[in-house]
Amino acid sequence: MQALVAAPATPALVAQQQPAAAAYPPAAPPVDDSAPLAVSMADAAAEPVLHFFTTSQFAALRKLSDLLMPAANAVPGALEAHAAEFLDFLIGDSPGERQQIYRGGLDALNAQAKKRFGKSFAETEPAQAEELLAPLRDPWTYDPPADPLARLLWTAKEDVRTATQNSREWSLAAAANGRRSGSGLYWLPID
Amino acid sequence: MPVPDHDVLIIGSGASGGMAAYTLTRKGIKCLMLDAGPPLDFTRVRVAKPVYELPYRGFGQPGRLPHVLQANEFNANQWADETQNPYTYDPKNPFNWVRVRLVGGKTLFWSRMSFRLSDYEFKAKDHDGFGDNWPIRNADLAPYYDQVEPIFRVAGRKEGLPQLPDGVFIEDNSPDSEAAKRFIAAAKQRNIPVTKMRRSMGRGPLASSLNLLLPDALATGNLTIVPNAVVREVTVDKNTGLVNGANFVDRHSRREMHAQARVVVVGASCLESTRLLLNSGIANSSGVLGHYLHDQFYITQGVQAVVPEARDGKAQRGSIGGGGYVPRFRNLATKEKNFLRGYAYDFSFGGTPDARFFPLYGEALDRAVESCRGAGFSATIMGEVLPRFENRVSIDKKVADAWGIPALHFQMRYSDNEFHMAKDAMTTLAELCQSAGFEVLSKHDRMFPPGYSIHELGTCRMGDNPKTSVLNQWNQSHDIKNLFVVDGSSFVTGGSQNPTMTILALSMRASDYLAEQMRKGEV
Repeated sequence: MQALVAAPATPALVAQQQPAAAAYPPAAPPVDDSAPLAVSMADAAAEPVLHFFTTSQFAALRKLSDLLMPAANAVPGALEAHAAEFLDFLIGDSPGERQQIYRGGLDALNAQAKKRFGKSFAETEPAQAEELLAPLRDPWTYDPPADPLARLLWTAKEDVRTATQNSREWSLAAAANGRRSGSGLYWLPID
Repeated sequence: MPVPDHDVLIIGSGASGGMAAYTLTRKGIKCLMLDAGPPLDFTRVRVAKPVYELPYRGFGQPGRLPHVLQANEFNANQWADETQNPYTYDPKNPFNWVRVRLVGGKTLFWSRMSFRLSDYEFKAKDHDGFGDNWPIRNADLAPYYDQVEPIFRVAGRKEGLPQLPDGVFIEDNSPDSEAAKRFIAAAKQRNIPVTKMRRSMGRGPLASSLNLLLPDALATGNLTIVPNAVVREVTVDKNTGLVNGANFVDRHSRREMHAQARVVVVGASCLESTRLLLNSGIANSSGVLGHYLHDQFYITQGVQAVVPEARDGKAQRGSIGGGGYVPRFRNLATKEKNFLRGYAYDFSFGGTPDARFFPLYGEALDRAVESCRGAGFSATIMGEVLPRFENRVSIDKKVADAWGIPALHFQMRYSDNEFHMAKDAMTTLAELCQSAGFEVLSKHDRMFPPGYSIHELGTCRMGDNPKTSVLNQWNQSHDIKNLFVVDGSSFVTGGSQNPTMTILALSMRASDYLAEQMRKGEV
């Protein structure tokens, strides 16, 4: 039944001209062919094409994401969850104000690394990176900091965490460890 | 086939419209209900999904529903689309207008907090001199609250507080956790009362017009519901000056229709009702239609704290959990220096503080969050907003919705009264937490833009004086006696209590009165 409905419609006039019984082969035994096929999400089979950040911005973001959300025990971190790659898409799709927080902040991060250590942020040693991340040790305030670097760090701390914990990799690892991960009731578009 | 006559046209199917239909149809009155949205089959519109399968990993589509901070990527489709339903404001003074266009309205999703107003609200001017009194008092509305609460099955505990009248409750005798007891004791030292939460239990998964009001109304055989009917204007009989129905447009086909009735009851939600009357050019001889817009300001996570003995998974059974409500305690017997009226807290124990509150990152952050898992104290501050003439909505003739209906323009901002109140609310709550022995992680007094609480009130207020109010004490237009507006737009002041129970009680009271007037032939 499902297959007939989905098939391209035979012109009604033609169908009427032919005796129905003779037009079709004998009915096949009933099977439930309405069950959904097993399909996969793109992330499980393909790599995202990066388009938003410059090479140096992306390298800094990737390093930053690893520092913010490292892998621990059996739990994947930001690198395994491809959080930076996801943020390249999300921020690229976001309003200009949010894009500027990232672009300006990542440029500031690289500039600070260059000025203080003579290298890009991606190349810094752990102790050097820790120095650059000092604003993350400031007490929380409702208003984000005005300084571009501090603003980026505060924003990325939340975004990288969400992008990692809501990733397929995190969810699969959580399931393997008997822990729950994010899910919910999704509202379909309402006609 | 002749189109059947209806006695009453009800516009809107949420708390107020649903209660009007419930009350009128049970008295044998034939009602036609129009709603701008579709009826839902919940089993078909929602599917379970892991968050990683959502296109934006749970972040939500950037730029969609910019004013609905409650929206997330799972539920984005449940809210009214902002591009189809635009509105305008000066960018310096934004308003977050949160709308639901579905049969059942916002009662499908409300937080279910169920409170009565007191004479501190109904007779607020008598108490502090600001604004106006309602034309009714608690004693007038109490018999209707008494009927509404059993329908919605409100759980609560009788407390005997004049600022938060008790209701007909399903008694909540649950014990308080040890952490809650410490908080309550700290509050008591300052003469601050703490109550059990008062919440509509409803029936099954909903406490909604959809399951508690509309089925009973339909069962009488006296109700016809037409969904997807976007009402353009209420129509007036030129000879009598009375309203005689409404013009509406089919949401899908855009076909224009007219519905005829002897009486029109508007319950389209506070600001949609006022927008409809403004677009109809009626009921505004006073000139105050659209004015005195108010809501309640909300500060979420105003204080975030941790209960020390519950850290590191050491919580014992009964040591933490539960929550409660702190009703207004300011400006009752005493007088504050820099603000009028008051605020409430709703608090809960047992959550995990969000990672952003910890000044850490990486493994150290994970350890800190893990240490506080299930040990959190969190509270929302809900403050009364003074109803002011200058806070208002009007029609923006340059902007129309997807059906060509002119949109609303908002002029609303909070004043020093609200800002001073917010500061006091935050400071006092943090002190209570410290007295109770909790570790305060963070505090702030920054409120969301007006509208966030989804408790917009006023703009079509009631009053005894037709020169300064739109409706009389029966939610009946001073100008047009067969026109009633039964939702939150009729409020004079809103207090700090969630308004749904009051909207339901007002609609039931107005409908009772309307039925009696129809029986006598007065309407």
